[in-house]
Amino acid sequence: MRADKQTLFKDMPRLAVLGCAAILMLVPYVWMIAVSVKPPDEVFRASLTLLPERWALVENYGKVLRTIPVATFVMNGLIVCMGILFFQMLFAIPAAYALAKLQFRGRELLFGFVMLGLLIPYQTTALPLYLGFHQAGLLNSYTALIAPFTCSVFAIFLFRQFFKALPDDLIAAARIDGMGEFSIVWRVVLPNALPAATAFAIFSVVAHWNDLFWPLIVIQKGDLYTPAMGILAFRAVESGDDYGALMAAATLVAAPLVIAFLFAQRRFIEGVTMTGLKG
Amino acid sequence: MAGVSVTAITKAFGATEVLKGVSLDVRKGEFVSLVGPSGCGKTTLMRIIAGLETASSGTVMIEGRDVTAIRAADRDVAMVFQNYALYPHLTVAQNLAVPLVMRRLSAFQRVPFVGRFVGDARAKLATIAEDVARTSGMLGIGHLMERKPAQLSGGQRQRVALGRAIVRQPRVFLMDEPLSNLDAALRVQTRAEIVALHRRVGAATVYVTHDQSEAMTMSDRVAVMMSGEILQVASPEEIYLNPTDIRVAAFIGSPRINTFPAEADESGSVAIDGIEIGLVSSMHGPVTFAVRPEDIKPAADGIPARVTHMEFLGDCALLHAETIANKSPVICRIAPDLRPRALVGEEIRFRPDPAKSFLFDADGKRLRPLRLNAQAAYV
Amino acid sequence: MSDAVTTAPAGYAPHIQKRSATLSMDTVAAWVLTLPAILAYLLMVLLPLLGVLALAFTDYEFGARSFRWVGLDNFADMPKDRTFMASIRNTVVYCFFVVPLSIGLALLLAILIEAGARGRAFFRAVFFLPVVSLTVAMATAWQYLLHPSIGPVNAVLRALGLGAPNWLGSSDWVMVSLGIIGVWENVGFNLVLFLAGLTAIPRDLYAAAEVDGAKSAWSRFTLVTWPLLGPTLLFVMIITMTRSVRVFDTVQTLTQGGPNSASEVLLRTIYQEGFHYFKFGYSAAITLVFLAIVLAIMLVQTRLIDSKVHYG
Repeated sequence: MRADKQTLFKDMPRLAVLGCAAILMLVPYVWMIAVSVKPPDEVFRASLTLLPERWALVENYGKVLRTIPVATFVMNGLIVCMGILFFQMLFAIPAAYALAKLQFRGRELLFGFVMLGLLIPYQTTALPLYLGFHQAGLLNSYTALIAPFTCSVFAIFLFRQFFKALPDDLIAAARIDGMGEFSIVWRVVLPNALPAATAFAIFSVVAHWNDLFWPLIVIQKGDLYTPAMGILAFRAVESGDDYGALMAAATLVAAPLVIAFLFAQRRFIEGVTMTGLKG
Repeated sequence: MAGVSVTAITKAFGATEVLKGVSLDVRKGEFVSLVGPSGCGKTTLMRIIAGLETASSGTVMIEGRDVTAIRAADRDVAMVFQNYALYPHLTVAQNLAVPLVMRRLSAFQRVPFVGRFVGDARAKLATIAEDVARTSGMLGIGHLMERKPAQLSGGQRQRVALGRAIVRQPRVFLMDEPLSNLDAALRVQTRAEIVALHRRVGAATVYVTHDQSEAMTMSDRVAVMMSGEILQVASPEEIYLNPTDIRVAAFIGSPRINTFPAEADESGSVAIDGIEIGLVSSMHGPVTFAVRPEDIKPAADGIPARVTHMEFLGDCALLHAETIANKSPVICRIAPDLRPRALVGEEIRFRPDPAKSFLFDADGKRLRPLRLNAQAAYV
Repeated sequence: MSDAVTTAPAGYAPHIQKRSATLSMDTVAAWVLTLPAILAYLLMVLLPLLGVLALAFTDYEFGARSFRWVGLDNFADMPKDRTFMASIRNTVVYCFFVVPLSIGLALLLAILIEAGARGRAFFRAVFFLPVVSLTVAMATAWQYLLHPSIGPVNAVLRALGLGAPNWLGSSDWVMVSLGIIGVWENVGFNLVLFLAGLTAIPRDLYAAAEVDGAKSAWSRFTLVTWPLLGPTLLFVMIITMTRSVRVFDTVQTLTQGGPNSASEVLLRTIYQEGFHYFKFGYSAAITLVFLAIVLAIMLVQTRLIDSKVHYG
């Protein structure tokens, strides 16, 4: 690989191929937004023009906002994702620290369970969890949405890798300064593992924002719908004929995370690669 | 015949000029070191010779052939990288064979598993195996052939890197700080081995290093580079005893050469801090006086200074001082039994040997001719 | 798992040189720190897992008063269940479609991006966009794109004179359509992982390859890129395969398994049997099959390939 930057001319073939691929990648977004501002008659014309003759932005988006409480759904999504993240970090970080830096009997056994957990997709445990929540009367609640994910073995695994790389002397110095183990975790270890924490946070939020399977199972009440369920609900109400409104709903619900991504691209991508390559 | 010849090479990365018109000839069989501090451009120059970078202007010739526009793979050079760059997924034997396989087998013959049945692949593979065996014997790594680089020590990896470079019997042999990753003891031992290897291979060798003692002990000629220019190219003796630039004088030699601001009066007589040295220069005005630590010694009528530190090195002692007038640092090499330790803080006087001293003008260029005069007595 | 002895400052040697595992400060602290995670794990992972194991051997239906242990009956019923067999077949087809395509495309695009300096951040962001886009929402967008009569894809195909298939509505094309969407969803994720793997390859190796005589892009790829991407490739394969086996959102949104079970997939069948027909026992048995498949993927890949791709 030559270090010199190629001339634009020589770079053209590569850029052309990448450009075509990028266009193909963006096609769903382009059409989604384009259709969301078209009135029904234009949608049914099956033309390839992107711009509408008559702008139906207010019509379509208005319909969506009237029919489903988008703001509520987004709010639910936020509450659920943040709630899950909060508990995941709360439980995983001390555990990862103990597994990484402390010597105690049973450490290998615990780590073995962590590894076991990594092999098991969460959908496997859906049935008994549902039964459990039903017995406890906790269906249709934020608890049901958040609790199953609070122990993230992936977080424990990831943070353990990171903490292992921290120098032991750092911890020893903290102990000499009189800190208890609890303080060490939150005041010494975590600040030094912020890249891992940010990476995991993004990974977790993206994964749970997107999740459909579990919310579909435990939520029946409309006001607790997550964004993913919100779309399904709108589709059910709409019975799929008003594509303009349907695309508007899709755009509204997909927008939050996409916008967040566009602002913090590097962080998102670092999140995936760091969690990926450390694992 | 010139093995490698670069002429008027310039290289700029964006706005930064890294090489400013460098020319160098290395004869076939000659060992030339490119030595200089980090960032002086020596690695860039080497990569241009190798063909891994293109120069902004200038030409590169290898054995009389203009290779400036030719890529590295076609230049018939071999290179040893600082971090060895061994293929981690291949065994030592396979690593050694790569240059031969790439050059002697066609693309079809290189296909895994079935390539060996194409044409004369079998015969070629046999000769390749012979060459690999010969090279590994030369380097003493025959017992490591089936191991992968991760299973080798630093010194062993370095030999494999050397082996991969010489297995092809290249015309030009380039080495980019190959010893910098070894520990000190291994470094000294490997220096001699590399020179011996170079003599066996007989190619033009360009050796890049920031360690001036490496360059001095190994080379036929040393090229001192700084800030993108070659300041002087000469044998180690010539570089040491006859530097043409003050930067060369300061870079070569350990401990570092002593430099003092000095003044040449109307008659040309040079004085440091008012003490006449015994040198007469053709120039007048402020000059820089330089003398090596072994050519300056305490003397009753010399330049006044205060002792700051004493180092005992076994075969000699180093006396560190500062001149009273300018606080210029002075390092003086003396015999170990001449002065006791308790000199620190005391005032002392030094006299340099004018016959072995150097004078440099305001631009750092060497001033010649010089004459010695009556004050030149150095006992 | 080997456990290297952590270096400890002199004052802490006693903690490390434990002769017997008595309740030292370390141990107490460790258990306290891990307790919340352990509890959550027990309640949310381990016990439910055992629960699934148990349920699979019963005929329990949600809301029923009692149930019987039926041994392997649930498993015996599976081959006779048309929906289940379709589900297994479709999931396998989907995997075989999505995995090679998304990995191959991602690798190609990653190499192209890495080969030059221009536009890296831009292309990376564009290809990664589907990963952060709500799957259900984008599936809806695809539904419009693939609409047989008003969708742009068929409009283009008609203009080119090629046929205009009923992408999501015909049993011949539905898995292909879902597969295309799956590739679209996964390319970005894999691309980003490959980019990280590619940048981790030391530049010096390419320089060494050049000096050694590797002239073509292909020979550089086979000598340096492919071998050194080994660990990344293994990881990407495992991730993509497990993601593909877990396909659910697009199917549930777009086809609900239709037409006629032509797009039934494992997770959807688990969902249907468990939460529509309330046959918890049977659903649990299918869940075990699902788990077995996931485990098999991970174990087979790791065993077969792992030793070859890690060079020490």
